[in-house]
Amino acid sequence: MAATDETTVPAGSGGPGPAPRAPGARMGFPRRALMGFLTLREGSVIVVTLVTIIYFVATTPHFATTDNFKNLLPYFAPFAILGAGEVFVMINGEIDLSIGAVYLFAPFIFEKLVTDAGFALVPAMIGTLIVCMLVGAINGFFVAVVGITSFVVTLGMLFGLEGLTLVISHAQQVSMPGTSVTHVNTFAQIFGAGTYSQLIWALVIVAVLQVALTLTRWGIYTVSVGGNRLGAAEAGINVPWNLIRNFVLCATLAGLVGLFEAVRTTTATPDPAGANEVLFEGISAAVIGGTLLSGGSGTVTGALIGAIFLGVLNDGLIIKGVNANYLFLYTGIAILIAMTMNVFVQKARRGAMRA
Amino acid sequence: MPDDVAEEKGPGAEPAAGAARIGEEVLRVEHIAKSFGPITALRDLSLHLNKGEVLGLLGDNGSGKTTLIKTICGFHKQDSGRMFLRDEPYAPKSVDDARSHGIDTVYQDLALVDELNVTQNMFLHRERLRTPFPFVKTGSMRRAARKAFEDIGIDIPALDVPIARMSGGQRQAVAVARTIYGGESDILLLDEPLAAMGAKEGGLILDLIDRLKQEREVSIIMILHNYVHVLATCDRVNLLQEGAIALDKPTAETSVEELTQIVVEEYRRAREEAREAEAAGAVSRGAEAGR
Repeated sequence: MAATDETTVPAGSGGPGPAPRAPGARMGFPRRALMGFLTLREGSVIVVTLVTIIYFVATTPHFATTDNFKNLLPYFAPFAILGAGEVFVMINGEIDLSIGAVYLFAPFIFEKLVTDAGFALVPAMIGTLIVCMLVGAINGFFVAVVGITSFVVTLGMLFGLEGLTLVISHAQQVSMPGTSVTHVNTFAQIFGAGTYSQLIWALVIVAVLQVALTLTRWGIYTVSVGGNRLGAAEAGINVPWNLIRNFVLCATLAGLVGLFEAVRTTTATPDPAGANEVLFEGISAAVIGGTLLSGGSGTVTGALIGAIFLGVLNDGLIIKGVNANYLFLYTGIAILIAMTMNVFVQKARRGAMRA
Repeated sequence: MPDDVAEEKGPGAEPAAGAARIGEEVLRVEHIAKSFGPITALRDLSLHLNKGEVLGLLGDNGSGKTTLIKTICGFHKQDSGRMFLRDEPYAPKSVDDARSHGIDTVYQDLALVDELNVTQNMFLHRERLRTPFPFVKTGSMRRAARKAFEDIGIDIPALDVPIARMSGGQRQAVAVARTIYGGESDILLLDEPLAAMGAKEGGLILDLIDRLKQEREVSIIMILHNYVHVLATCDRVNLLQEGAIALDKPTAETSVEELTQIVVEEYRRAREEAREAEAAGAVSRGAEAGR
């Protein structure tokens, strides 16, 4: 028995891609590397994103330039952070539609805390994030304890919070405290206005959350609650607590991105329509990155790559000089084409895993 | 969330006296009742479990077996009645709480998460942590899982693949191994641990239970459907009918014939009642309440 086990059990496969049956020592290296890559859950969306990048590099002379890379950053870093939070909620089998509203709401709370309550910048930021956590906790409470569908709960929160933002701001734009149009100070540099600030935040947040998802109890319980909620409860996992925790994470990250963007643009604008677009970009990043809407499966790095894909698409179409009227149309078609490709790559991937 | 750390200690660490195994009472359930809306799952149920004993529970679907198990393990809270654990009042607040009292369960639905791999499932909510860091010790858990499966003698070729790809018997083996090797519980509740298994795999699990009886001072309540398994493995058998215990006998004093007889009578009576009820114009059949 022990002898047969030794031959069939892959002893501690090192890479993140679980190689199920240690396929073929006879296989050549390129083929093995390809197989290993395809068994990554993010493998297919990486392929699709690379193809998109290659397309724009080949057809647009200005795409592969440093300047364009800098232009590209605001198109994906915020959505990578939003998507990262959404991934946890979606793996739970839930959805958080209120991230757009929290994104909109947070800078106004920050502004009130600084100008009306006299907080210093960093404490005001912490205070704002605590308010966002509270919003997430309320979402989580209604979903996990009261038992209302998260779609409905967070839709209510979306409208309610956007309305509240209009009320407290009197529908007026405000300038962000601690920022100025002419000079970018250290605070602004760190929290959103520095060229690479949001990129660095996004990479750190994605890395930390990916590790949390795969290597901590929190992550394992999140998958369990989404994959088999009854079974998770039977195993003794505190299901409501896990749900609340993930809604809190999602809302906190949404508030953080809201602050970053307001600092970057030096103003907070009470524009619910823009906020709803942000919401869809965040959710799309997670879904395109391979997180299932049905729960149980997903990756944070996938959300990052999904955000890069959306950013590249947006930026690429713009610098290709696509007529503004056609931009959404092309974006829609491109997403459908890319995700159809994704299905085929995924099939190849499943084939590789079975091999 | 109460994060109780499953301690690193192998199974069978404390070999018990093999001879006079069955000792004093460890668990007593008194007049438990439990309803789910209009469905009465447990009417008035009392039973007891002795130390080192394997108690077999038999009964028709909907007789309340699963509800009883889920009440003892802290998943459900009874409407009325009391429980005692080692002569102390016992009212588990949660599954965790019951486990901290040394009571652990193999559920009928196995409580496995398809998306997690075999090792993660084996240690679900029993993870070993790299304290003071919050990370799970994947390698240590994988080795422990492999050792557990070798111990049972069940063949699970790969531990890093999602458990969705395992056969029914393998999945059941993981669920059983989780409860037996995942902690140090000394009261095990097994809800149909052989349901998805073929004769060979089922035999391995029954062997394991026999070995446990020799090695550890565990007491077991086990729901089984196969009378032969009950007579071969259990020390005593309780038969549930309509949420109460209808028969309580040592297995040595009963037989497949007697058990069959009782159950056949129950069926006959149920059919007669159904016919009468139909005549009265109201058919009401309780669905399986435990799920």
